[in-house]
Amino acid sequence: MKFIKNHLMFILPLMAILLGIEFYLVFERTTDTYEKGLKEGYFMLAVTKKPMDLSAFQALNEHISTAEKIKRESIVSEVAKGISRSSSKEILAALPYFYNLGLDSYLHTSRLEQIKKDLESDANIKQIETFGSSYQSNYRLFSFIKFVLKIFIVFMAVVSLFLIIKQMEIWKYAHKERMQVMEIFGAPLMLRSGVLFKVAFVDAIFSTLLVSAIFFYTKFYWAAQSGIDIMVQNQEALFKVSDIGILLGSSILIVIIAVYTVVFSSKGVQE
Amino acid sequence: MSNVIHASHLTLTYGNEGKEVIKDANFSIKKGEFVFITGPSGSGKSTLLKALYGKLRPSEGNLVVGGLDLAHVSQRKLQELRTHMGIIFQDYKLVNEWTVKKNVVLPLMIAGYDSEIQDTQARRLLKHVKLPEYADKYPLELSGGEQQRVGVARALAKNPVVILADEPTGNLDDYSSNVIWDLMENACQQLDTTVLVVTHKIPTIFSLPYRHFIIESKGVYEVH
Repeated sequence: MKFIKNHLMFILPLMAILLGIEFYLVFERTTDTYEKGLKEGYFMLAVTKKPMDLSAFQALNEHISTAEKIKRESIVSEVAKGISRSSSKEILAALPYFYNLGLDSYLHTSRLEQIKKDLESDANIKQIETFGSSYQSNYRLFSFIKFVLKIFIVFMAVVSLFLIIKQMEIWKYAHKERMQVMEIFGAPLMLRSGVLFKVAFVDAIFSTLLVSAIFFYTKFYWAAQSGIDIMVQNQEALFKVSDIGILLGSSILIVIIAVYTVVFSSKGVQE
Repeated sequence: MSNVIHASHLTLTYGNEGKEVIKDANFSIKKGEFVFITGPSGSGKSTLLKALYGKLRPSEGNLVVGGLDLAHVSQRKLQELRTHMGIIFQDYKLVNEWTVKKNVVLPLMIAGYDSEIQDTQARRLLKHVKLPEYADKYPLELSGGEQQRVGVARALAKNPVVILADEPTGNLDDYSSNVIWDLMENACQQLDTTVLVVTHKIPTIFSLPYRHFIIESKGVYEVH
């Protein structure tokens, strides 16, 4: 009973961290499409005196990814209805050039302002129009959700890491006698701490398998039967085989950090 | 003969307040010598022994063991030095969840010897300390005298250059004590190992020539 309790005291906090990591991965994947939609749906309007190509815009700011020219003829044809052909030609000649500028990533509004400034610094550019309000509200909501999730995961990870270290200290105390004897006879730190690593690695693998199993079940059984649209649509993003590698890598890293923290916090075992 | 241990102006302090236990001590011990260190309780005998295996660093002066100055030695070098030492404790310091055999071969395990050599050595050592049938038992199944013999076997496992013993017979009856003294005399005679024993009282049955130091009023003095 004590044996199970000792291991659960390590496995549960480690699982909490791994669940946090996996939630984050799933969230990133499921929101990726949404973020892409926001990014692709957003354009800046540039008004220039002379024609410009994409490289000219990119020279002013590297975040510009597309520059789509708006046909002036169609604007003139709308404006110059009922006007003589010679007059419409004059209007066309007097009109500036219009471009829809696309961005390479989903940016904060402050970055958008910077892009606007960079573009307006060019004498050839008469005006830049950003469509900030809807973009800003979407961006803020989206950023807020991401931020809250990250804070929650970090908080959970820190608390769990402390619990793991505490449990490791209990193990260290339990193995104090042998670590002390090994130290006296010249065993290097790695050999002395071997028992801690061994127990922790086994639990790390166990935790990884448990968390993987939970998400595996969620993806293949629960999501399909849940009837929740967003779950069904994003079923593929719920769990990937590569996640097992990420989770295992993370749990081993946590184990190494925890063991070294405990071992180095009091060099040598006191007699 | 070369000095295995050399202390010059050695000062040892202990505890958080830095209480001086040994002050300005000077002594040398040669290879193959058997040395007793005696003194009243609390005089600093065990503290000196701790300093000799690097558990306590000298606060002043030099303490050279096996050519390494323990005042300035790195942790890695210290570990290496300890693999050439055999240390025996009054409370045996055996690992209770390990078998007798595993306890005995600990120094070989640390040195990375393969399991076949470990097995051969364990059999030889346990026969030497007259416990050949105890290999698979656990320390707590043994009497105090038997546990100390396991401790001696462990100390001898890697043919150490120095054996340091802290009150090795302090908890034992006369018969067990005599067995332990015999084993240590043999190690000194046959392996040319330097043996340094901290004890309250020098055994009367002791037959080897030995040197005797006494710790008194923070000083280490040789008794002639």
